[in-house]
Amino acid sequence: MKTLNKLIFPALALLAGAVIPNAMAETLLIKGGRVHTLSEAGTLDTADVLVRDGRVEQVAPSIAVKADREIDASGKIVTPGVIAPVSELGLVEIGAASSTNDYAVTGDSIGASFDPLPAYNPKSTLIPFNRAGGVTRALVFPDIKMWGEGVGDPQRVFAGRSFAIALNGQFDSVVATDLAQKAFTGEAGGLLAGGSRANAIAKVRNALEEAKEYRDNREAIRRGQWRELNHSVEDLEALQPVLEGKQPLLLTANRASDIIAVLDLARQFQLQLVIQGAAEGWMVADRIAAAKVPVIVDAINNLPTAFETLGARLDNAALLNKAGGKVLISGPGYASTHNVYLARQSAGNAVAAGLPYEEALKAISTNVAEVFRIGGGSIAPGRVADLVVWSGDPLEVTSYAEAVVINGEPQSLVNRSTRLRDRYLKPEAGHEFGFKR
Amino acid sequence: MQHHLRCLAALLGAAILVTACGGEEKGGDKEASKSFADLDAFPSTYAIEQSKPVIIRNATVLTGTGERLDNTDLVLEKGRIAKIGEKLRAPRNALEIDAKGKWVTPGLVDVHSHLGNYPAPSIESSQDGNEMTSPNTAEVWTEHSVWTQDPQFELALAGGVTTLQILPGSANLFGGRSVTLKNVPGRSVQDMKFPGAPYGMKMACGENPKRVYGGKGTAPSTRMGNVAGYRSAWLEASRYKDKWEKYWEKGGEAPDRNLQLETLAGVLNGEILVHNHCYRGEEMAIMMDIAEEFDFQITAFHHAVEAYKVADLLAEQGVCSAMWADWWGFKHEAFDMTEANIAIVDQAGACAMIHSDSAIGIQHLNEEVAKAMTAGQRAGFDITPEYAVTWMTLNPARALGVADETGSIEKGKMADVVLWSGNPFSVYSKAEKVFIDGELMFDREDPARQSHSDFELGILNPEGERS
Repeated sequence: MKTLNKLIFPALALLAGAVIPNAMAETLLIKGGRVHTLSEAGTLDTADVLVRDGRVEQVAPSIAVKADREIDASGKIVTPGVIAPVSELGLVEIGAASSTNDYAVTGDSIGASFDPLPAYNPKSTLIPFNRAGGVTRALVFPDIKMWGEGVGDPQRVFAGRSFAIALNGQFDSVVATDLAQKAFTGEAGGLLAGGSRANAIAKVRNALEEAKEYRDNREAIRRGQWRELNHSVEDLEALQPVLEGKQPLLLTANRASDIIAVLDLARQFQLQLVIQGAAEGWMVADRIAAAKVPVIVDAINNLPTAFETLGARLDNAALLNKAGGKVLISGPGYASTHNVYLARQSAGNAVAAGLPYEEALKAISTNVAEVFRIGGGSIAPGRVADLVVWSGDPLEVTSYAEAVVINGEPQSLVNRSTRLRDRYLKPEAGHEFGFKR
Repeated sequence: MQHHLRCLAALLGAAILVTACGGEEKGGDKEASKSFADLDAFPSTYAIEQSKPVIIRNATVLTGTGERLDNTDLVLEKGRIAKIGEKLRAPRNALEIDAKGKWVTPGLVDVHSHLGNYPAPSIESSQDGNEMTSPNTAEVWTEHSVWTQDPQFELALAGGVTTLQILPGSANLFGGRSVTLKNVPGRSVQDMKFPGAPYGMKMACGENPKRVYGGKGTAPSTRMGNVAGYRSAWLEASRYKDKWEKYWEKGGEAPDRNLQLETLAGVLNGEILVHNHCYRGEEMAIMMDIAEEFDFQITAFHHAVEAYKVADLLAEQGVCSAMWADWWGFKHEAFDMTEANIAIVDQAGACAMIHSDSAIGIQHLNEEVAKAMTAGQRAGFDITPEYAVTWMTLNPARALGVADETGSIEKGKMADVVLWSGNPFSVYSKAEKVFIDGELMFDREDPARQSHSDFELGILNPEGERS
């Protein structure tokens, strides 16, 4: 615990479990760290970051301001907080306990209009744990149902809508709603669409065509004076921003030929496509880059787990970046929500496989903020002050977050993992054991 | 050092086996062997021979016994670690490697893997890891499920893994026998079997058996049902063992062989090591009492997410724990995770190690240990890299009963050695060269020394290999 507390200003001691009212922090000065701004200012070897009212005000080698609070970051690394491009944070507590899962619906009644937002639980234990891992914001997406009752029932290729959260655990922590739409193509899409990946593409195409038809004949369709459509009015409404190119459509695709198929679809409908998976993206990296389509990769997954990922390899992110593509790195597939902060480890492995270092940092922050147009992701005047002070290189597995700032507010780094650790570090016999806080 | 003595029970189990049960007998001749392990049924045909001596110069060596040796040379000869020292002379015709700035560790050992029995690609017809047809399938041997062409083996090799245990899955109270392999290409699983390694047997606590069988309307459907299932089986196995021992002692008509009871009896007489999937602290305590009741030893709890809660009991009973660095939350029994688990267990004097249970994790055991080491340091323990390296080398070797042969850089041991580009606990370091029994089995710089399974030929490109 000594190492946890020693460099954080005394006020943070109050933070264990407590919520600090916004009024407490007007200005915050993070002094003397090596700052990766991930903005035009680049990396500053030693710099101060001044935060006022939740936003970055100034980044400079030395700022002579008496701030309300200070964090000494000398010898430390300062970066924007990690932003998860996909997660089910707040929609899942225990994977195999279906009563704690709200990220998927089965049955054929709802698709694109499914919005998991009302299910979001900011008090989930996953939030403080991943915050302690340096994650400050996350996209939350619906997904395929994997566990429990109804898992074999038909599901639509459209999973539904997403939102974004700040990981401060507060009831008002949703920072944006209706951010993007998600659908499954490739192997997963084929399963959902009755057995062929071709039909998954056909279903996405059909939904978009009906959405157009709906847009052009809204009143007649709503009055019921129209042919029967495959999609509900609600689903077709939900697809309007996708059709207008205002909202990203996330499509899963791993095999090179599947990637080409979704690029074609995006071109045809002028979609703002984001590809999730892209295990064989390196094989068609030039096309992805030329189409300016961002890809979300599981950068540590080099397994040919499926025939659609035979080309999976560790330098996928590096090759996509080299071709000029925009790469976003998700948490590892085996722990993509509970341990979404491990995107850092994946990014580190991507660097080991040739991805330039700053590009790897951007892949877990800046690029995510840009693609989904949410705050954070760089340290520059006017930007949301989501910052992390790291003990060392944030992509190293031996480094950890020593201070996490969200919207200018220093956060508690206590979580169930640290609570259980501290209870059992020096076990005491008898009743004191269970009573130890 | 104290930790040298840990896992003593497991080590003794192995020693008894290797010396007393080394297998001169003919296959299946139970009447003469006085053994339940049936070692000669599918004997190892492992045949890696070192083609030329190797000298590695000026390396930073983490020995796996708690020491760090700087600017050190190693000579590998005839499959063994021949010399460790400074300024050693190269044997004739040696492969000479300048390792200045590089690090050397023992070959990594993963005590929990499903490579080959849950291979990639993962398609329905190759899901051979778990015989989910009865709560007790002690009669199955996982080696009979291993697809040796699983391309994940060579990925693990590129991560420095030289020895691994393949376990059956966890749906059953008794899942069957495990097998310990050396990570070399093999046309048969016998070509990969670690010579002289004892067998293990998989047991499973908790959610999985009760869910799988309770869901089918058969026992067990509760944790107490699980325990009744274990005890009933041990009662029967004890009777079987007695019958055979009486026969060996007094002669008469030979009892009928029973494959299921043979494996259980092999546990009871110490030949076969128990590897027990068990998450919760209170279940570990129950399992240790069952072991006491029927007089056998549990070698290791696997996925021991709550081992830190019973670390003192584990130390007392000499039971190892195989753990992840940070996995949690995928089911209720994995909810109480702390990243300091491995360190707390270790520092309580119990035998602790990393394990993967994952074809990705097995490629990055060094990173997983780095995370566990860091969590231990943050908990206030003084844990150095030379100490933490034992969590992926000597300690798992002990749990597999092969610590007298591999798991550390000591003179006379198998020359299972990894040369790292830098500190192995950095995410940027890579295994550059991996030696198994002194032979260079992987070289990151030399495509000719990168094996590809049959599956990978012509699969994405008719003229090339996968990736």
